[in-house]
Formats: sequence, C-alpha cells, structure tokens
Amino acid sequence: MRIEKLNLANFKNYPELMVDFNKGINIITGLNGAGKTNLLDAIYYLCFTKSYYQNSDSQNILHENNYFRVEGAFCKDTDPDAAQNTAISVAFMKGKKKQVDKNKVVYDKISDHIGFCPLVLIEPDDVQIIKGGSKERRKLMDTALSQVDREYLLAYMKYERTRSQRNALLKQFAERRTFDENLILGYDQQLISSGNLIYEKRKTILAALNPIFLDFYEILSGGKEKVEFHYNSVLNDLSFEECLLKNREKDRIMQRTTAGIHGDDWAFEIKDHPLKKLGSQGQQKSFLIALKLALHQYLKKERNTNPLLLLDDIFDKLDVERIEMLLKLVTGEDFGQVFITDTDGERLESLLVNRKTDYQHFKINSGKLL
Amino acid sequence: MEFPSKLISDSVEVFSKLPGIGKKTALRLVLHLLNQPIEDVRDFGQTIIRMRESIKYCKKCHNISDGEVCSICSNRSRQKQLVCVVETLRDVLAIENTQNYRGIYHVLGGVISPLEGVGPEKLQISSLFERIQSGEITELIMALSPTMEGDTTVFYINKKLQEEQLDVKVTMLARGVSFGGELQYVDEVTLSRALATRLPYE
Repeated sequence: MRIEKLNLANFKNYPELMVDFNKGINIITGLNGAGKTNLLDAIYYLCFTKSYYQNSDSQNILHENNYFRVEGAFCKDTDPDAAQNTAISVAFMKGKKKQVDKNKVVYDKISDHIGFCPLVLIEPDDVQIIKGGSKERRKLMDTALSQVDREYLLAYMKYERTRSQRNALLKQFAERRTFDENLILGYDQQLISSGNLIYEKRKTILAALNPIFLDFYEILSGGKEKVEFHYNSVLNDLSFEECLLKNREKDRIMQRTTAGIHGDDWAFEIKDHPLKKLGSQGQQKSFLIALKLALHQYLKKERNTNPLLLLDDIFDKLDVERIEMLLKLVTGEDFGQVFITDTDGERLESLLVNRKTDYQHFKINSGKLL
Repeated sequence: MEFPSKLISDSVEVFSKLPGIGKKTALRLVLHLLNQPIEDVRDFGQTIIRMRESIKYCKKCHNISDGEVCSICSNRSRQKQLVCVVETLRDVLAIENTQNYRGIYHVLGGVISPLEGVGPEKLQISSLFERIQSGEITELIMALSPTMEGDTTVFYINKKLQEEQLDVKVTMLARGVSFGGELQYVDEVTLSRALATRLPYE
C-alpha cells in the first residue's frame, strides 16, 4: 500500500495541511517541535485509527479547537492507476464518538478498519523493547501476529478472558477457603487449547522472521557480531497441562495464574549474552531496526502488499556507516513507500543523492509546509 | 433535563432505569401515561406489581411458572427422561418456538463466571443433580451459549457427573453453519469448527 495524499485539519500542531507524497522515499525535516512526528502520527492514525503516542483522541486536537480530521488517499502499490484510490478519513469532535470512514462509508465497528493498511514504525522510544520488561516484547510480536492472523487474535482474546476468570476464581477460593478442582480444570482445559495454538503460532513467526532478521542485522552492522533471537516459553520444556498442574499450589497461594504463555519472553542476545546488558546503544538500535525491518518483510509476505515504513528520528545514535547501510536497504526493491524524519535535511539529502534514488523533501516549520 | 414537576422527573427517572430506555423515550412513555384515563394507569401499575409478587419458579425445572410446577413439567405428553439444560427463560422460549422438542428443561439461571461472582452454588446445579439422582433422566442436552463461560459450565457439570458416577448421556447442540445463510459470510471460527465436525451426507 501507499498513501498518495494527506489532508489534516486541526490535528496536533497543524491547523490545516494538504500534501501529496512521493511513492518512494519521503523525507520530512524541520526543527524540534516543528511537527515531523505529528505528521507520521497522522499516517499512523489512518492505519490504526488511533495515535501511536497517546490514548486520548481529544489530546490530538489543535489547541482552542473542538475537532480534528485526518484524511488520506491510499492505493495498492501494485496498482499504477491512481483512479483506484481508497479514501480513509478519521474525524473526532469533542463529546462525540470518533468516526472512521472508507470511501465515505462509515465503519460500524472501528476495529474492522485495523489491518486495512499494514504499517511499521521505527522510533527512538523503541529502545524500551530491549530495555523494558517482557511485556513490551510480547506486545511487539503479538501485534504483528494479530495483524496477519485472525485465528491468533481470537485465541489470544479467549486466552486472556479465561485467565481473568481463572484468576477471579482463585481469589474467591482463597477468600472463602474452599477449592473445587473440577472448576479449575474447566478453565485449565480452555487455557490449554488456546495457549497451545498461541505457542505454535509464535514458533512459526520466529522461524519466518529469523533468517530475514539475521540478514538485515548483518548488513546493518557490517557482519561482525553474532546475534540471536529466541522464543523462551514455559512450553519449551513441558506441556501446558503439566505446567498448570505443577503450579497449581503456587497459583492457589498467589491467587492468580502464575505460569503460562502469558509470561513468555523473546530473548535478544549478542555474542551469547543478553543484548540489554552487553549491547552498546548503537548495537541495540541496529538490532531493533533489523527486527522491525524483518517484521516489515513478514507483513509484506503475509499480507501480499508493502506495509508503509515510518522512520522517526532514527539517525539519533547511529553512526554514518550504519545509516548508509540502512538507506541502502530501505531504498531497495524490498521496501515500498518510506517516510523518514530528521532535523538535519542536508545530511539526509547528501546521503540520498549518492544513492541516486527518487525522493521528495518536505520542510516543515510550526505546523506548516514550507 | 429539567422538568417543571418533580412527579414527572421521578417517573422519568424510574422508566429510564429499564433496559434500552433512555431519558427521551422515558419522557415519551410518562407523557403517554399522563394522557391515559386514571383507571388504565392504575391497572397498568397493579398488573406489574402482581406479576412481580406472585410469580413462581417451577420447583422441578426452575422455569418461570404460575403454579408450583410449570406447564411443561406437568404436561403428560412430555418425555421426562430427556432434559435440556439452558441458561434462562429466554432460551426455553427459543427452543419451544421450534415446536420440535418434546422433552423437559432445566433452567440454570446463568453460567459460571467468577468475574461476575457467579459460582456453581449460585446456579441451579445442585438441584439438577438431585433430579438426576432421582433416576428418571437418561439424557442431558447441554444448550448453553457457545462462549468460554458456557463451555466451562458444561465441562464442570460433565466432570461432576463422572465423579458421582451418574449414568446419564450428555449431548450438546451442534455448532456450525446456519440455515439459509451464505457460506462466504460465515465467520472463520464457526466455519473451521463446522469443517472439523463435519457430518456424513444423509
């Protein structure tokens, strides 16, 4: 997919904006606070119907206004005919329900829109995926799987629902000093059936991602360091049934489901050590970028269309060599439309001129296109 | 909304507590009642009070009933060995509407859901076991919602039957593609389940 036009009204620091994008590389430059990230967030809004950065819709309205609107014209990148555009619009007015429409037809359920256009965003805060808890890493992979596999999403929702029921039950048992094995078993077998499916699908995505990831990391780092990416699951060593049985007493004491695929983690290693501890900031960044680019390729294959690639301020903490490698990758034929933001336009342009790539440069200052 | 009369605003308040009724509809209903003859309104109120005060639950199946035993349980032509286990009265009505069921019912009053504080003790599960122990029942048809909670409740009842070594056949409603629908509009979960539990062609 690619986005051809973007119109904004009262969105964040943009009173109004109309812009036509290049079908390949788009670079967006401006000073801090000019609105570079906000422009990427508007594109994110059209794909996911919400902001990447904050949960509240009303926070995205330009100061002293009471609504915002984001409109975009999308087209399949395999389809050269611009007349086949799909118009997406997201509008929000204070005190009203957010409205999302596709070719002027309003969605009954906003969530039905998600997945219309796949998107991968790489931004400075991503480093939390490495430095933060396992929840961040699970979220990254679960989001990717949910975007391509509805069965995964449904199993995941069922698993989470079962887990909250089971936890509520354990709490009641403790309060009333009772225990009913038959009741616990009822939840266990539901956790097992949805949990096993989640486990198998996570192993599948690992197998699909790993070779692409290793290739990208090698290109980005110049191929000197050995990196690995694993899926650490309680189910690697024992069956879910055994796992639940083994932890039953502990669950009763803790009054919650202590073990299961909800606690699994994705391990990132460099030279056989955790990346979190041993990796330099540059190495961590390269690892993340390689992983996200691999996710881009995975989504592309599964969805049979190029996801949009948004690179927000990634030049922070990467050396020129790695940046050149990254630009070489994303301007290649494996990637579709790309958006890159940076404070320094000249640096970026000089690197792109060398690559003889077709690109367009948008200069921004305080919510206006210069 | 501000009303010139407290009597009106109290009535609107009461009506808007009903499911599916907002403030505007409540006002419409109140104004309608205001225009009716007083006898009709008195009759309306008393009917509802009478309903709430005198309604009984069948002591056998716990369905709503006017007497001690409901009309379905006391119907001699019903097969007493076949019991359909449902959540609520509404499910009884739905199955009765098929006009194809000749057995009797057992109304659980819901499904097990610890999050809402509903355990087996809050449902008519022990009374179901008493009925089974009295010996007449040979088959239980589990007609609960196809949700995680419904499935857990079926699992629980079945497990307890095994534990108490009660010899009853347990069956479940078939799950799959509905009649008259187009295959392309069936959701993937239902369709994959229907494929997995496909039937020989008759």
